[in-house]
Amino acid sequence: MPSSEIKYRNLVISSAPHIHEGRSYSGAMYTFIIALLPAVIFAISRYGMDAARVIAVSIASAMASEYIIQKLFRKPVAINDGNALLMGLLMAFILPPSVPWWLIVVGCFFSILVGKQIFGGRGGNTFHPVLLGWVTLRFSWADYINYSYGAINYTLNFSVEYPLHVLKKSGAAAVSGLNYLDLFLGNQVGGTGASAVLLILIGGLFLIARGVISWRIPFSYLAGVAATASVFWLADSAKYADPLFHIVVGNVMIGAFFFATDYSSSPANKTAMLIFGFGCGLFTVLFRILSNNPNGVFFAILFMNILFPLLDKIRPAVPGKVMKEA
Amino acid sequence: MASIAQEFTKGFWKEIPPFRLVLGICAALAVTKSLVDGFGMGIALIFVLVCSNIIISMLRKVIPKKVRLACYIVIIATFVVIVELITQAYVYSLYEALGIFIPLIVVNCIILGRAEAFASKKSVLRSALDGLGIGAGYTLALVFLGALREILGRGTLFAGSQYVINLFGPSFKPYAFMVEAPGAFVCLGLLLGIMNVLGD
Repeated sequence: MPSSEIKYRNLVISSAPHIHEGRSYSGAMYTFIIALLPAVIFAISRYGMDAARVIAVSIASAMASEYIIQKLFRKPVAINDGNALLMGLLMAFILPPSVPWWLIVVGCFFSILVGKQIFGGRGGNTFHPVLLGWVTLRFSWADYINYSYGAINYTLNFSVEYPLHVLKKSGAAAVSGLNYLDLFLGNQVGGTGASAVLLILIGGLFLIARGVISWRIPFSYLAGVAATASVFWLADSAKYADPLFHIVVGNVMIGAFFFATDYSSSPANKTAMLIFGFGCGLFTVLFRILSNNPNGVFFAILFMNILFPLLDKIRPAVPGKVMKEA
Repeated sequence: MASIAQEFTKGFWKEIPPFRLVLGICAALAVTKSLVDGFGMGIALIFVLVCSNIIISMLRKVIPKKVRLACYIVIIATFVVIVELITQAYVYSLYEALGIFIPLIVVNCIILGRAEAFASKKSVLRSALDGLGIGAGYTLALVFLGALREILGRGTLFAGSQYVINLFGPSFKPYAFMVEAPGAFVCLGLLLGIMNVLGD
């Protein structure tokens, strides 16, 4: 045995960082969940047992999928870290309250298996897992996850037609009568929890205040939506809806604060974050206006997810590094 | 040197083209929307592969080294045209379903791969058996992939033939994502992963 090992055996040698603030990954995940809780209460108070059922099934199937897959892959089971719980909750938030249970199970299983574990598990996913699961549901059962169809059996004190469907079908004049404050307060049809726009915004601001996410992605997202929608609106205000409408309807708020800011599928550098968020906003509006599909948020985020490793190459120069002359 | 029997059986597991060699993926993804389509493609490929292997093996001492690829392509293309005309004449529905992927057998890397790596060096009998084995393995893989995608994506088996079986009854809502192009990639990727786990 070499003498050096005996000499230093009481010293622990580790790599940086040496000072730890005490926060953990699961702490961040549970903060995300706390930020979503007001919207959970809102959803249950509005849609009753249906919302509770969607949320419960979604969380249960996401965590069960995580457990089964980690057992099968012979990885340490880490369902306590809160990530699977958050994925399940987010999946429930973007589905309408009327979806059948098997659809949620398939979506969650696909999200966790292909979206998360195949890419290497926590921290390895290039795409937001829930959005990948949602896309397969969208391809397979578009009618079930259609927000307008989903709300048809409820007696609500506002229009049961998804505002973006109205916009796509009947043009900007049909939505100009809507009260934006009303939409903002959550009086619109949409995802089980995602339609509570104000509460999602409050949750997002709470995350920023806690330092769990950076302000850069969500705010540049909203700026991207506003800027792009303004260009269309200024060009032809009779044909295109105004920017405020684009911000308060649909999934923009939950997309900006909870999906685009996913740790492993968004950039980590400051400039890259701004470009990423702005790009998400830009494509959200472009997809909404130029495609057949009334929704744009999820496809825009998935599209920018592909680009984020490239965006992350934009980084500040390393201090002390000497630039080569010409 | 491998025994004659081994030349045939290696195609079923050790060198099964889409899974172990990861060859012929383009067609494997595109035509496996149903079991019948996958099977038809496999049979077409067996015919072309066996015939071109035999001819190339016969001509292996005649073909000059410098223009060998061009010669192989001419031979392969001949058999592909035969297959195309036959399917068009006798099984038109399959011809419609496979579409561009029958002519594309010409550039299928399995066939050129076997010609270059095997038939141009080995005897006629060995080349024929090799073609048969690899082709059968490819067919097996396509049938499996096609069946999996068809069951999940449509809830049927043998769609496109007279013997369509509706597996889950009329109330089943199929996972249509699986018969879309991205579903093919996901399905093939998962199967590759499973094969790698089982094979090691």
